[in-house]
Amino acid sequence: MSSTEAAAPAAEHRAGDVVAARDLTKVYGEGESEVRALDGVTISFPHGQLAAVMGPSGSGKSTLMHILAGLDQPTSGSVVVDGTELAGLNDQKLTLLRREKIGFVFQFFNLLPMLTAQENIQLPLRIAGAAPDPEWERTLIDAIGLGDRLTHRPSELSGGQQQRVAVARALLSRPAVVFGDEPTGNLDSKTGAEVLELLRRAVDEFGQTVIMVTHDASAASIADRVVFLRDGKVVRDSGRMSASEILDTIKTLE
Amino acid sequence: MLRLVLRGLATRKLRSALTAVAILLGVTMISGTFVLTDQIDRAFVQIFEQGNAQIDVVVKDRPPFEDQQTEVYLDADVVDRVRQVDGVALAEPFLQVQGYLVADGEQLVSQGGAPNFVFSSLPQAMNPYTPIAGRLPEASGEVAVAKEIAEQGGLEVGQAAQLATQAGAQDVSVVGILQFGDGTTSLGGSTSVIAPLGDVQAWWSLDGKASFVYAKSADGVSEDELADRVRTALDDPGLIVQTAAEDSAEQASELNALIGRLIRFALLGFAGVAVLVGAFIIFNTFSITVAQRTREFAMLRTIGASRRQILGTVVGEAFVIALAATLVGLVLGLGFAWGLNRVFELVGFGLPATGLRMPWQTVVVCLVVGIGVTVLAAIGPALRATRIAPVSALREGAVPPRGRLARLTPVIGVLIGVLGGAALVAGLTQDIATTQRLAILAAGAIAVFIGVAVLSRYIVRPVVHAAAPPITAVAGGVGRIAAENAGRNPARTAVTAAALMIGIGLVVFVTIFVGGLKESFTGAIDDSLESELIVTAQGFGSPLPAAVLPAVRAVEGVQVASPVGGTPVQIGQGTFALIGVDPADIDQVYSFDWESGDDALIGQLGADGAVVEANVASDLGVGVGDTVDVVSINGASATFAVRGLYADEQFLNGVTVTQEALKPLLQSNATGINTLFVKIAEGADATQVQAGVEAALAPFPTAQVQSNAEIKAQIESGVNQLLVIFYALLALSVIISLFGIVNTLVLSIFERTREIGMLRAVGTTRRQLRRMIRWESVITSIIGGVLGVLIGILFGWVTAQGLEAEGIVFILPVGTLLLFLALSIVAGVVAAILPARRAAKLDVLEALQYE
Repeated sequence: MSSTEAAAPAAEHRAGDVVAARDLTKVYGEGESEVRALDGVTISFPHGQLAAVMGPSGSGKSTLMHILAGLDQPTSGSVVVDGTELAGLNDQKLTLLRREKIGFVFQFFNLLPMLTAQENIQLPLRIAGAAPDPEWERTLIDAIGLGDRLTHRPSELSGGQQQRVAVARALLSRPAVVFGDEPTGNLDSKTGAEVLELLRRAVDEFGQTVIMVTHDASAASIADRVVFLRDGKVVRDSGRMSASEILDTIKTLE
Repeated sequence: MLRLVLRGLATRKLRSALTAVAILLGVTMISGTFVLTDQIDRAFVQIFEQGNAQIDVVVKDRPPFEDQQTEVYLDADVVDRVRQVDGVALAEPFLQVQGYLVADGEQLVSQGGAPNFVFSSLPQAMNPYTPIAGRLPEASGEVAVAKEIAEQGGLEVGQAAQLATQAGAQDVSVVGILQFGDGTTSLGGSTSVIAPLGDVQAWWSLDGKASFVYAKSADGVSEDELADRVRTALDDPGLIVQTAAEDSAEQASELNALIGRLIRFALLGFAGVAVLVGAFIIFNTFSITVAQRTREFAMLRTIGASRRQILGTVVGEAFVIALAATLVGLVLGLGFAWGLNRVFELVGFGLPATGLRMPWQTVVVCLVVGIGVTVLAAIGPALRATRIAPVSALREGAVPPRGRLARLTPVIGVLIGVLGGAALVAGLTQDIATTQRLAILAAGAIAVFIGVAVLSRYIVRPVVHAAAPPITAVAGGVGRIAAENAGRNPARTAVTAAALMIGIGLVVFVTIFVGGLKESFTGAIDDSLESELIVTAQGFGSPLPAAVLPAVRAVEGVQVASPVGGTPVQIGQGTFALIGVDPADIDQVYSFDWESGDDALIGQLGADGAVVEANVASDLGVGVGDTVDVVSINGASATFAVRGLYADEQFLNGVTVTQEALKPLLQSNATGINTLFVKIAEGADATQVQAGVEAALAPFPTAQVQSNAEIKAQIESGVNQLLVIFYALLALSVIISLFGIVNTLVLSIFERTREIGMLRAVGTTRRQLRRMIRWESVITSIIGGVLGVLIGILFGWVTAQGLEAEGIVFILPVGTLLLFLALSIVAGVVAAILPARRAAKLDVLEALQYE
C-alpha cells in the first residue's frame, strides 16, 4: 500500500493512463466574488483502476469529475481521455467522445421511465446507432442479476435494481472509463453495497476503469485508490484504505 | 395571494406568454370583426344619410310582398299630387336602375360585385351629387358620372361614351363629373351614372315609372309634419310615405342585414373556432402546470393555505393572463380590421369605408369572452389542484389525484360525442329556422370535437406503438424515445392534438362541402343542359333586352335559342320563383328530370298549366292535379294547375309556366328573358358560333355569352376564391393550435430536464435531441391531422346526406386530404423549432442537477 502525499509532481501523461489531467483550474465569478473550485489539479488514472474521489462539500470533487468527463470546461489546464485531448473540442465532438469513451452512473439513476430495463441498458448504443454485442450484454445482465426483470419499467424496480440497470447501461458500450457521481448516494447501505460490488466486479472481471465521486466512506473503501480534495486541491492520493482510515482522513480535512 | 399569482406569472414568462397567445388571437378576431362591421354599418348609414340629405319625404311603392332582390316602381305622376300638398316646396320623381358607361370600349364597372347604378337626375337642390367639373345632365343623351368612374376611365367633360342600357348601348356625352355628398364618403366600389329621367325611363322600359318620389319641405315644415301631410293627401295603401330619415335608416339596415351582418356572422363563426381551440390549449396548459406544481401547492397547503386559496391562485393566474391577452387582442383587432379592409380592397371587393372605431360593446364582448373562456377552461385543472394532499409536498414525483369522474371518462366522451352527432343530424334534417339550425349545428360540432378529444387519449398509445418502429428506422434511437415521450401522457398529447384536429377538421369539412356545392352546380350543367352556350345579363337579376332573342336566333350555326326568365311570386306565405319557358323549344336545350310527367306536357301547358320542381312542390304541399295561386310582385295574380313534377335545384327551381303565361305577371320593365340557352347546330364549329353570338350581342353591352365550360370554370374559380377565404380564416385556428403544441412541448421539456441532461451526458448530440423533440411534435400533429381529416370527412358526409335534397353531393378529394396531412406534419415540424432549440441549449450539467 503506497501512499503519496498531496501536491504530486506535474507528471507527464503516461501511456497507460486512461484519464490524465494537468494543472486544472476552474474559477467561478470575478474579483472579490471569485471562487476557485479547482486550483491546479494534476492527476491521472491508469487503466483497470477503481478510484474514489472524496472531499467535503465545496472541495471541487464534483467539478473535477465533470471536467474529466467532458461535461464541463476547465478555466485552464488540460484533460486527456483515452488519448484524446479535450481542450478545444466543440460540443459535438465532446458529445461523441462521451458516447464512445465514457460511461455514467448517476446518483438519481436517471433511467427513462417509459423504457424497459433492457431498453434502458441499450439506450446509449441505440442513440449511437450501434447494436449491442449480444454475448457481452448477456454477461452484463447476468452480472446485475436482473435477467427476469428485463421487460420491467423503472417504476416497477427498486432503487438498487434501477441503479444496477444504470451500471449495466454504463458498461454495455465498453467505455474507456465509467464515471460514478455519488452512485450510492440515493440508496440504503445494503442495496448500495450491491451496486458497489458490481462496480468492483466491473474492474476486476471486465478490466473496466471506474472513477467515482462519493462522500460515503464505505463506498470509497472498495476503491483501489482514494483521492482527497480540499479547496480545489488534491490533498491526499492514497491506495486502498479502510472505511475507518477514510473517516479519520476526512476529519482531518474538515 | 394576488402577489403570489403575479410572481408566479413573472417567473414563468414564456409559458404565460404562450398561454396568452392561445386566447389573444381569438379575441383579436372577435374585436376585429366588430370593428370592421361597425365601420361597414356606419358607412352605409352615412351613404344613405348623405343621399337623403337634401330631401325630407320619400314616397315609394308598397309591393304585395317583400322581396329584397326585386326593385319595385310607382307611377311617376304621383309627383303631381305630392306637389299639391301644402308645405311641399319641391317634389321630383327619381329612378334608379342598373347600368354602366362604356368608354373607348372599356366597361366602367365595379370591381368586386358592388352594383353599377344609373340614377335619374334631380334638381341640384335635391341632388346628393354636386358637379366638381361641368354640370348635371339636362338634355337627352347627356350624362354625368361620379368622380371615381371618371378616374377609372380617364373621362373628361365633353367626352363621348356609351351607356349600357336594357335597350342596348346608347350614345351619350359626359357633361359633368360629380362628387357624392361632401366628397369624402366611399361608395364601396359601386359606380354611379346620372342621366335625365326621360332617358332612364325610355332605355329601361320604365315609361311613366319612378323608384321614389322625393319631396322637399318649405321653410318651417318639419319632416314628420310633411310626411303626415303627404300621407293624408295621397291616401293610398299601395304607397309608403316616409321621412327621409326613416328611409335612409331603413335602407341602411336592409343593406347591413345583407352585408354587415353576413360578414359579422361569418367572421364571428371563425373567431368562435379560434376561441374554442384556444380553450383546449388553456385547459391543457393549466392541467400540465398544475401537475408540475403539485409539490408547490402541497407546500402551500402544508403552511396553511385553504383549498379556496389554491383555487384562487390558479384561477387568478388564468384571470390575469386572460385580462392581459384580451386587452392586447382588442388593440390588435383594430389592426385585424385594417388588414381585412386591405384584403377586400386587393380582391376588388371594396367595402364602403369610414374611420376605424372601437365601439364600447366590443370591449365588453371581448372581455367577457376572453376572460370567461380562459377562466372556464382553467377551472377543471384548478379544482384538481385543490385536491392535492398536503403530504404530497414530501414526496417526489407526486401528481394531483384523479377526479371522482375520471373512471367515467370514456363513458362521458362517448356520451358527448354521440349527443353532438345527434345534434348535427337533427340540425341538418329538422325543419327549423336558419339561426336555430346553425346554433344546433355549431353546438353539435363542438360536442363532437370535445367528445373526440376526450376519447382520443385512448388511441395515443396504440398510435405511438404503431409509429415507433418506422420512426426509429428513420430517426434512429432517439426516434424511439420521441415516440415513447409522445405516448407518456396520453391525455396531454390527445388534447394538444385535438386543438389541431379542430382546425384541420374544419378545413377538410369546408373543402368537402364547397367541393360538393361546386359539383352540384357543374353537375347540373352536365345533367340538365342540352345546350352549349348560355346568354345572360350582367348585373344582379337584370333581364336581357327583348331584342337579344331574335339577334341570337339569327346567328349562323345557332339551331335553337330558348329564353328562360322569371319573377318572384308569393304562393301562400312563401316567396317562390315563377319561371317562364318557351314550350316550342325548351325540350331541345334542357332535359327535364321528371318525377311525374314527360316532355310532352310542356307543349300542353297552355295559359294556366304549370310543372313544379319537386322540392318546391313538397314545400307548397301540392301534387299533380292541384292548383297554385300566385301573386306577383307587380300585384297581379293568377292560378295555375299543376300538371307535372321534376327535380332541378339549379336552373328551374320554382314553378315553371310558359313565357306567355309569365308575361302578365312581370314588372313593367322586365322582358321575361333572363337567360338564353343556345344549342349549336350539328356540324357547326362551336367557337365560330360563339364568336357569332358575341358579335350579335355587340349592340347589347349588358348581354354576355359563355360556353358551358366557361361557366363551369367561372364557378370553379368562384368556389376556389371562397375556399381561399375559408382557409385563411381557419389558418388562424391552426396557428393557435401550433402554439398549443409549442406550449405542451416546452412544458414537457421543462419537466424532463434531468432526462435530457442524462441523454446528453451519455452521448446524445444536440442535433439528435432536436430531432427527438421534432418527432414528438410530429407524432402529436399527425394524430391531430388524422383525427381532423377523419372528423372533417364525417362532417362533410353528414352534411351531404342532410342536404341531398339541395343537390349537394359528397366527393372525397383524396389528393387534397393527403396534402392536409402533409401540412399537419409540417405544422409539427414548425411547432418544434423553438422547444427543440431550447432543449438543445440546455447546459448538460445544470440539466443533470435539475430537481
